[in-house]
Amino acid sequence: MAAAYQHSNTARAVLRSLVPVICPPEAIPLGDAIVAHMALTLAAGPSALSRGFAVGLVAYDLGALPRHLRRARALTGERAERYYEGWLHGPTVLHRQLARGINQLMSLSCYEQPEMMERVGYVPAPWIAEVTQRRLTVFRDDVRRQDAQILAPDPLRPGVRIKRERA
Amino acid sequence: MAVAAKPAVHEGARPRNVFTRHDHHGDAVLDADVVIVGSGAGGATMAAELAEAGFDVIVLEEGSYYQTRDFTADTSAMSRQLYRDGGATAALGNPPILYQEGRTVGGSTVINGGMSWRTPDKVLARWDRELGLAGIARDLEPYFERVERRIHVAPMDPEAIGTDNLLLKKGADAMGWKVIGNLRNQVHCVGSNRCAFGCPTGAKQSALVSYVPRALHYGARIYADVRVDQITRHGKRATGVIGTVQGTGHRITVRAKLVVAACGAIHTPALLVRSGFRSPSGQLGHNLSMHPNVKVVAIFDQAITGWKGTHQAFQVREFQDEGLLFAAVNLPPAILAMSFSQRGAALGELMADYDRMVTAGMLCEDTATGRVRTIDGKPQAFYQLADADAANLKRGVVLLSELLFAAGARRILLPFHGADDLYSPDDARRLLARDIPTRGWEVVTVHMMGTARMGADRAAAVTDPFGMVHDADRLMVADASLFPTPIGVNPMETIMALSTRCAGHVIDNAGRFLS
Repeated sequence: MAAAYQHSNTARAVLRSLVPVICPPEAIPLGDAIVAHMALTLAAGPSALSRGFAVGLVAYDLGALPRHLRRARALTGERAERYYEGWLHGPTVLHRQLARGINQLMSLSCYEQPEMMERVGYVPAPWIAEVTQRRLTVFRDDVRRQDAQILAPDPLRPGVRIKRERA
Repeated sequence: MAVAAKPAVHEGARPRNVFTRHDHHGDAVLDADVVIVGSGAGGATMAAELAEAGFDVIVLEEGSYYQTRDFTADTSAMSRQLYRDGGATAALGNPPILYQEGRTVGGSTVINGGMSWRTPDKVLARWDRELGLAGIARDLEPYFERVERRIHVAPMDPEAIGTDNLLLKKGADAMGWKVIGNLRNQVHCVGSNRCAFGCPTGAKQSALVSYVPRALHYGARIYADVRVDQITRHGKRATGVIGTVQGTGHRITVRAKLVVAACGAIHTPALLVRSGFRSPSGQLGHNLSMHPNVKVVAIFDQAITGWKGTHQAFQVREFQDEGLLFAAVNLPPAILAMSFSQRGAALGELMADYDRMVTAGMLCEDTATGRVRTIDGKPQAFYQLADADAANLKRGVVLLSELLFAAGARRILLPFHGADDLYSPDDARRLLARDIPTRGWEVVTVHMMGTARMGADRAAAVTDPFGMVHDADRLMVADASLFPTPIGVNPMETIMALSTRCAGHVIDNAGRFLS
């Protein structure tokens, strides 16, 4: 079995540097958690995707050297913004796809943080608990009836039942 | 004080005849009458029907076994646990189409919206007329009834319908368009709006809480966490399967008198191909239909809180004859944020309106067909959106936007990368005249069909009308691969009805299959 994806040091550093570029300002303190969440998501995805993403991040990191004389991970503020924009509108599909992919994946991980969900008013757990309890109380008889129906005999073909000894 | 019901079927300890990776301590060889690969709409239905008839049934499922109590509000964790590749699989083409498949006991029924519709009459008439499935409409009728009883297909309780769905209906009514209440497999859905991440209330009657417990009750055994590598064969006769336990690497061999492939329209053809089966029709893996979906996000002035209320309570059917269905589909903030091109402060400002957003999507009955190729034993889908379907989707976006403006939307975000947002119905209508390159479209689907299509003519179909693979013996297909054409509505009930019909064929011919 292939080993699950984990960020390389380069990937982690590049992504960490991109948190202020991609995420809203209020999410910046959550940067480490966002980057860690991205690793979980990549590990669950197709291995070709995570491998391609990792290679792309190395290219992104090194690609800053000619113009900025430093790696992308070391860029901050306006320079980091401009460098990312350069990839987003880059010369090849691969440039553009990587930049969009980073945006998508980081936005996903950003709004998976409980603080960010709460900030936009999304707090589903108490709601789920409330309606689950309501259903089992108010509709108790119907729930029981369906549970019984699921197991009740109802052969597809009347009179056909294959009797066999099972080991 | 009222006493709450204690769910009898889908809660509690793991049933004794469900086995997971933790139960394997070495390679194993098992015997059964029937081995079924996949536990979703096709596989679980088949397992329950055959087990009740007295067949010794083993089901192998690549995904893990979860119960209702395991389904939480953690969207990301649920996606990783319940979806193949975390939901990040794509059919290659322009644009690439992201598709989702369930990979868990219960299959995609665990993560679908629960829409339960019979195959439309016009589709069955075409299957009858053009594809050699004589009398299919009449034949399927009792199976639809049986499935609907088993999974409790019913209209929604009105009090569970959320504001986003009411606005969709309001818009359709204002436009004078046909809108109907959705039929769903549920018992008093109370609107947790988590259908796509495993129903946490137990209301949705997915295979996990209907056909799976029924199959187990009648003696079927389910082995979760087992990926089937190949179907074993003796000449053209299928003799069983060999699989690998995920995480341990142990091998499981099942020897059986009948093999049923029910792992969906992407993986069923790949399983057959890597096992050496070929179809004289040349259609195995071909004929892939996908019901491409796009969505728009409308922002209203009022609070909507779309995550409180049932999923897809209504369907707009005004354009069904043109292959378009519309519905409201609330998405958690992370999934929605992922689809926006905004970033930084602009993303934060947009997401601040999350509580005022209505997400509405459309299903397109496609005319194009793609293909599943098997590369190094793994399936890869290829699908090129047809020009006609792209035009239909664009028209659908315009119509849906008009509907949402009629319901009171003030701004609409489009599924076309780089396209300006809409602020009026006129903006929407102007879209029709614009050329929008499809490479920037965000297209997704959860309906894959047709890659082992059934039909009487072995020169044109992969299986016979009962799912038996032409030019093979003891090998059956029982999933959406069988569909000869796309059906234009949610496919779960059709899969279950066809699987029940296939099970009836096995029972009727039990002597032959058990010899």
